[in-house]
Amino acid sequence: MTATTVTPKTPASGARVRVRASRLVLYTVLVVITGLMLGPFGWLVITGLKTTPELAASPVHWLPDKIQWHNFADAFTQIDFLGYARNSLIISLIYATLVTLSSAWVGFGFARLSAPGKKVLFGVLIGSMMLPQMITLFPTYLIFAKLGMVDTYWPWVLWGLSAAPYLVFLFRQFFAGMPRELEEAAIVDGCGYTGIFWRIFLPQSWPVLTASFVIAFTWSWGDFIAPMLLLSSDRTTLSVALMTSYVTPSGLPVNNLLAAGSVMYVVPILLIFLVAQRGFVAGMSTSGLK
Amino acid sequence: MRPHAGAPLSRRRFLSLSAGGAAAGAAALSGCALQVAGAASGGGGESITVMAELNDLGPELIQQAQKELGIRITVVKNDITRLIAMITSGNPPDLVRGLGALDAPYFAARGVAENLDPYFAKSSILKVDDLDPANDLWRYDGKTQGNGPRYGMAKDFSQDAMFWYNTSHFDKAGLAYPSETEPITYEEWLDNAKQLVRRKNGQTTVYGGSYNGLGLGILFTNLTAAAGGSLFSADFSRVDFTTPEARRALAWYVDYAKTRVGPSLIQPNPDAWDGPTYVANRMAMSGNGYWLGGMIYPEPKVAPVSRLAPAPVFEGGPRLSSCQSATGLWMPKKARNKDAAWRVFEWFFGEAPAKARAEGGWGIPTLKSLRPLMPDKEAYQQRVLKTQQAELEHFSVTPFTPYIKWDALEALINQVIPAAMRGEISVDILAGRLNSTVNEQMKRGKEQVG
Repeated sequence: MTATTVTPKTPASGARVRVRASRLVLYTVLVVITGLMLGPFGWLVITGLKTTPELAASPVHWLPDKIQWHNFADAFTQIDFLGYARNSLIISLIYATLVTLSSAWVGFGFARLSAPGKKVLFGVLIGSMMLPQMITLFPTYLIFAKLGMVDTYWPWVLWGLSAAPYLVFLFRQFFAGMPRELEEAAIVDGCGYTGIFWRIFLPQSWPVLTASFVIAFTWSWGDFIAPMLLLSSDRTTLSVALMTSYVTPSGLPVNNLLAAGSVMYVVPILLIFLVAQRGFVAGMSTSGLK
Repeated sequence: MRPHAGAPLSRRRFLSLSAGGAAAGAAALSGCALQVAGAASGGGGESITVMAELNDLGPELIQQAQKELGIRITVVKNDITRLIAMITSGNPPDLVRGLGALDAPYFAARGVAENLDPYFAKSSILKVDDLDPANDLWRYDGKTQGNGPRYGMAKDFSQDAMFWYNTSHFDKAGLAYPSETEPITYEEWLDNAKQLVRRKNGQTTVYGGSYNGLGLGILFTNLTAAAGGSLFSADFSRVDFTTPEARRALAWYVDYAKTRVGPSLIQPNPDAWDGPTYVANRMAMSGNGYWLGGMIYPEPKVAPVSRLAPAPVFEGGPRLSSCQSATGLWMPKKARNKDAAWRVFEWFFGEAPAKARAEGGWGIPTLKSLRPLMPDKEAYQQRVLKTQQAELEHFSVTPFTPYIKWDALEALINQVIPAAMRGEISVDILAGRLNSTVNEQMKRGKEQVG
């Protein structure tokens, strides 16, 4: 008979196994969720690498037989990709910068100042978020046409200076959470509300400033309706050019070029988010909107 | 606003700095915003605005126009909301893209389109006797389409009830090819489609055929005409889907959708349109006209086995072969630079751009003199061309109503018809519902036009 020795499990090693097992489950779930989230983008990339017949093949060709890198080159050269991207960038920078500052200012007012009717005014502001953009399209065009601003970037300047309700709400929540003592100390030291905003509140609000800038930049970069309505083809943005230029001579979509162009279109947004993600996440969580 | 504490002075400063900052920001940032490079170049001379799709007048054509005509073209994206806004603001485009078959009566009846007859009469490039009959879709005499003044011109056209077929699928199914000279009936077309469709594990791997026209509204208009009737009343103010001819058209299409032999609202094509599916060898028949050749010819596997067939007929019905789009340009009555717009019009429809389009195979040129430019180098192209030329003898205008925008009609039909396609309601109930839904909208259109 052979004696076998069994090493008894210690409570510590059992806990380690449980921790490892739970981590394995957690990471598996995270990998699956990440895969689900990345799936559509991955499919977009693969679509951009296929031929037109491969796109329509049945059963589905999951991967291209021969990778069509030239689709990306074609998507880049078939339109003035850089020119349209520059137009998008200018508009997005104008709008995101101005609307972030104006929303911060308005949000500060709602958070730290008091006046009769403030709550009603804030309710109206938040209520305006419910107004669909489509409803205001026609009067918007007429107003800008009367002002001679059609086919210029002035509308984005004015929209930027007008603040955005959602961003105002974001800033208001953030500023409302700052200690009253900061404000009182500044007043005792002779600082007015302008100084309090610029010197004390704004420098401390970089997370929400980052979040606001990223959100506003993404809105503007992805906007199709406003540039389509207000700009001509040589001043329009990449979103309009993408939707309307990768087509057959009959105007029907060429999907692989559209996919390749779309991949390149989202790259700047991804880069901005990667650079600013820490501030973005902090901004959303510290404003009470997490 | 009243601060919690502090001097009133800071409040005023707050407000004044707000205003000052806003103005400074606008001034500083708008300077760089207004100067952006793009497709169109600056310079002196005349300029016009064209509302079109961006690929209709791409950067090369815009530069070519500037070089050859000395006219700077600004293109704005084709969009009905923007068009109405531009007309309302008193600054309409000088030329607008439109579908002659559907838009011509709509805009002409509302008095916003310019009568181009005087321009055609003076033109040495666009001579009336050189115009293909397809351009008659841009004519409207105040009552019906096809007669009266010309309000626009088509850039190219097809007889959209014709269909392409892939002989390899017919060979596999052991079916005789449809004739390239004599039309088959719609019933025969559907029988063929039922035998050609291929399915695997519940998925359609090969569509037997696709027959959706350029939209269900224009499709039913044409199918009803092919059955020997008219979808519209004599004054075009109402539709009637309950006439025997309209009901026959409706029943045929519902049967097509129910049998799921091809794409429809209840079985949408993931490729969004027939072209990619057909060239991927996954569609045996495609109800599209000559223009689809532009997509087929560059595909070496599909082009040699593809043939074009005449528009089907209904048993006992007339032989008609209409155009359902006639995409082209029209000139708003309040266009600011009509002479320059007309010079661009002549150039676009009669000179270099028209010749390039004719050579591309994406449609039949709308000037008879340009027909020799249609592609015919390959044997299969010659075969297709022969069929197409014979079909031109049967071209006809199917008048459309001015009292409803075609896309509104489309949307209304799309709301009602799926229930019939799924077998939940009968064709008779469908016809009644379509009548009430569409006629309600057309009544408002009639009131607008007067």
